[in-house]
Amino acid sequence: MSVLAIHPGAFYHIESFEAPRYASHFDLLVRPEELHNARLEDFAVVLIPCRTPADRMVEHAARLSAYLDQGGTLIVTGENDFELYLPGIKFTPQETDWWWWRTPGADLGVRIAAPQHPLFNRLAQRDLTWHLHGWFDVPDGAEVLAVNESGKPILYIDEVTTKGRMVLTSLDPFYHHGSHFMPATTRFLDGFLPWMREELDVRQTARPRRSRPTMAG
Amino acid sequence: MNVLYVHSHYGMTEPLVGEAVAAGKVRLVRERELSARHFAEAAGLITTIHLDQIGFLRHAACVQALLDRGGRWVFNGHMLRALVPGLGAYVPLAKPRRADYALTRLVEHPVFAGIDQRTLEENRGVAGFYGRGHNPLPPDATAINGLGPGLLPIDWDWALPGGGRILSHAGNEFWGSGDDDATKQLLADRAVAWASKEIG
Repeated sequence: MSVLAIHPGAFYHIESFEAPRYASHFDLLVRPEELHNARLEDFAVVLIPCRTPADRMVEHAARLSAYLDQGGTLIVTGENDFELYLPGIKFTPQETDWWWWRTPGADLGVRIAAPQHPLFNRLAQRDLTWHLHGWFDVPDGAEVLAVNESGKPILYIDEVTTKGRMVLTSLDPFYHHGSHFMPATTRFLDGFLPWMREELDVRQTARPRRSRPTMAG
Repeated sequence: MNVLYVHSHYGMTEPLVGEAVAAGKVRLVRERELSARHFAEAAGLITTIHLDQIGFLRHAACVQALLDRGGRWVFNGHMLRALVPGLGAYVPLAKPRRADYALTRLVEHPVFAGIDQRTLEENRGVAGFYGRGHNPLPPDATAINGLGPGLLPIDWDWALPGGGRILSHAGNEFWGSGDDDATKQLLADRAVAWASKEIG
């Protein structure tokens, strides 16, 4: 098994993880409260979705750091207070303009910063463009993939803070996709999750893929 | 007895029930800290779109007991777990267009009385915020508001055999739609009043 997703249980998480569209991208779904029973080191990727309540994750901070330090890959999406339980994150929230798109010709300002990155064989700028929730001060050596209107990082890969890899974004695709609400977020996941499987899930073997993930516990 | 408001998300307040909390009408409890005592001491229950539906299943007996003694539950969101026997899974609209977001009052209900449902169809001229689908109407439940030309039951009130009632809204909290702050506050106040059996 290779991709473990934390499952906080709100309807938008249930829809994102359990509905047929993306279920095959996850091998094991683990509730935050059961994370202490999971062998994280068995998984190439651990994913924490948007709006995972931080007070359900802080007790696992040391385990997540240990997972990273043995070479694991952690993906965390937005609206998550990740700085409370992950190492090396400096995040600045920004006021969200929910209505920018109502102005004809308006531009939210999201830009792809590393167009040569393989992720952008699957995603266009419009697939990253819905809302801005904040930006990161990234450490030296991190790879910035996308920035906001001020050129500040909103999606990056950090392979310097730990011995592992953190893929971090302030974008919140699972929340909106799982709410059946914003087509760009579905397009984002349509590209991002296959990229996760093929590029980050490096420990995957030839074993048959499940069509549905297993629920722990 | 007050209303138990299940606070499921992290780090934000619930401003529209702030006064009700201060007045002792609403008890705000983090979902992860819920115990049987909280349910036993409550007249009613309010849950939000952020409810951990998987975790909430462990309180199913407490919820059923609350309903069996005549308690009320205001549910907001997409039902994707059978939290009470008889509840079905949320059905989203397929490729909705503007006409599919039209709202129609089907029966008068004390929570919505005097409010033109059409004023909740749009936020700043954009439709779809009130809801984009429906939680299946249980047998014997009453549809309050219909969605689109098919009048899909986006809001319904279910009087259970044991005396309890569930008010389901298949979208973000129903006191968050429209452009009029006074109406939003009124709807939030009525949600609390209905859950505590002060009205209807």
